[in-house]
Amino acid sequence: MIAVGLDVGSTTTKAVVLEDERTVRAAYLCPSGDLPADTARRVVDEVLGRAEMTSSDVDVVATTGYGRRLADIGDVVMTEIKACAAGILFGQPEGEPIHTVIDVGGQDTKVIALGDGGQIEDFSMNDKCAAGTGRFLEVLSAKLGLDYEAFVEAACGAQTTIQMNATCAVFAESEVVGLLARGVAKADIAAAAHDAMANRIASMVRRVGVRGRYAFVGGGARNRAMVEALGEHLNQALYVPEDAQLVVALGAAVGGARKARARRRGPGATEKEQA
Amino acid sequence: MADQFDPRYRLAPRQTEDPGARRRARMLLEQQRDRLREIPRRPENIGRFEAWAEGRDLPDDRPRIGTLCTLIPFELVYALGGLPVRLGCGNAALVQRGEEVLTGDVCPLAKASFASFLDPQGPAGGCAAVVLPSSCDAKRKLGEILADFSPTFVFNLPPEQDAHRYGRFAADEVARLAQFLARVLGRRLTRRSLRRAVREGRRRTALVRALQDARAREPGALSVRDFFLILQALHQGADPQDWAREASRVLEWARAYRPERPRMRPRLVLTGAPLQWPNFKLLHLIEESGADVVADTLCTGAQSLYDPVVADEWSRGAQYRSLAQRYVFASACPCFISQATRLSRVLDLVDATRADGVVHHGLRLCQLFDIETYRLSQVLKERKIPFLHVRTDYSLEDVEQLRVRFEAFLEQVEGV
Repeated sequence: MIAVGLDVGSTTTKAVVLEDERTVRAAYLCPSGDLPADTARRVVDEVLGRAEMTSSDVDVVATTGYGRRLADIGDVVMTEIKACAAGILFGQPEGEPIHTVIDVGGQDTKVIALGDGGQIEDFSMNDKCAAGTGRFLEVLSAKLGLDYEAFVEAACGAQTTIQMNATCAVFAESEVVGLLARGVAKADIAAAAHDAMANRIASMVRRVGVRGRYAFVGGGARNRAMVEALGEHLNQALYVPEDAQLVVALGAAVGGARKARARRRGPGATEKEQA
Repeated sequence: MADQFDPRYRLAPRQTEDPGARRRARMLLEQQRDRLREIPRRPENIGRFEAWAEGRDLPDDRPRIGTLCTLIPFELVYALGGLPVRLGCGNAALVQRGEEVLTGDVCPLAKASFASFLDPQGPAGGCAAVVLPSSCDAKRKLGEILADFSPTFVFNLPPEQDAHRYGRFAADEVARLAQFLARVLGRRLTRRSLRRAVREGRRRTALVRALQDARAREPGALSVRDFFLILQALHQGADPQDWAREASRVLEWARAYRPERPRMRPRLVLTGAPLQWPNFKLLHLIEESGADVVADTLCTGAQSLYDPVVADEWSRGAQYRSLAQRYVFASACPCFISQATRLSRVLDLVDATRADGVVHHGLRLCQLFDIETYRLSQVLKERKIPFLHVRTDYSLEDVEQLRVRFEAFLEQVEGV
């Protein structure tokens, strides 16, 4: 069975083609742009092309992400929370079950607590503002006049002792202006920004009351400085899957495939009974 | 009776015309009304409640007493021939106006409500006096500011719901309020008129309980949004007799409802900070996501009319004591130092209505409800009752984020 998982995020749209709930045949991602519905269609075409398939080969398309309802191509719609949990369970290392997933996206940050059987026990999301999300770091890198990669590199090398706030991206911007005026090195500011955000996310993680092994996914997990800073605040080396940004799209494909399988076995029975 | 506020420091009331703010407020109201029109099944006479809840069609043959919050013994106002009109406001477009006097770190409910005083055409202008309880810091301090605009009484609440220790204090406060109201309304409070007001109040309570039971049995019978509108219409200044007549018609209509198929939607208990029309953001979200609110502890919801005043003695003192018992010691408000009353109420409701989960509404900048979240979430977790805390304000910019959170909660509740 071929399932396509489509994650229409605020910043990036990602798609994964999954075969028989086991093998990832292809994956693709690109910026969401200002017409997320068009981008979504384009991303699906592209990922199918890469898998050397056409839409007639596909059994189910599952959509998730903030544009999950915008994309009119989905057969199954689910929240990022559910998709993220399914994606992590799919690829988790053997013998090291994940109990907490931290997903730092462009517009929101989530913490999901998983039970022993992988079920979602609790979750938490940032409030409506950009604090604690990828957007926070993007804003600050622009203020420092560094491109994002250089910003992360600078943060990795610095041993900063500066204390910054992470409660508001706009206030942090003015804070950066003040620090630059005092002649503080850009690398130190970059490191302080990562540390402030890690501090905030770590307290959100502990608020959910979590335990066990932590996984770090989403666009934020591609940021090396962020992985280090968060690891320090949580006092543990974080498990970062290879394609951290694709985990949610993969989870959507897994969830979609499961649902399609359940439906094939006939109506009446619930997804759970048949799984 | 001595004034609660020192007249030496009284300020001239500030009022300015802002037709732009009024237009924005009207637009928002219209927008929210459109959302209600999408409810699949609504009572025929819902328009009357809508009008009352918006302060239209109120009787103008009696003096109005403005109130903020429902911890006020309304029976006293009715018994003295007055009409309680709630000045608490849920209009997002008016929050900004309140900041002209109040600081930015005050909750949107206080700010939007206060905007009514700044507007020369606002509903506060038509009130003979204003009564508000000391149920939070915002209200405690707002009283003195409101006193610049209109005769104002702050109904002092005891810090604990211990009737042995504070029963006398609370009854004295009720007596003081009665005195204040008698003075501004120029009427004498008789035991007979208060007795009649209490009886009528009990009939309203019975009506609300019957409506609530009908909804708990069959949530499809009446949308929670319409239910809230009906409840809020009363305290917003409807004539209580008219209100009871129309509400009885709704009850009959709701009881007659027979669904074609059994309802499968998740059943939720809603608790937390007040949701005042037109701030129905969270109620829209819950119903539009396919869940039902089968019970609530909101002071702008069923809780506001759920407890009857229980009186078996009719001396003046006994009457005041029974009002204090109802409005102070049975309240689920987080302003008291123990949150046990609300916790017990939530657990009882979950049990009685066979609810699948609990949603807690936190109003940004309301620390009382915010701090109670910790114990509430842990107590529910221990009992394996799914729980969602939604902290938001009047603004509509976070609706999509809330939707993700809410839908994920439903996925959790339904175990899919």
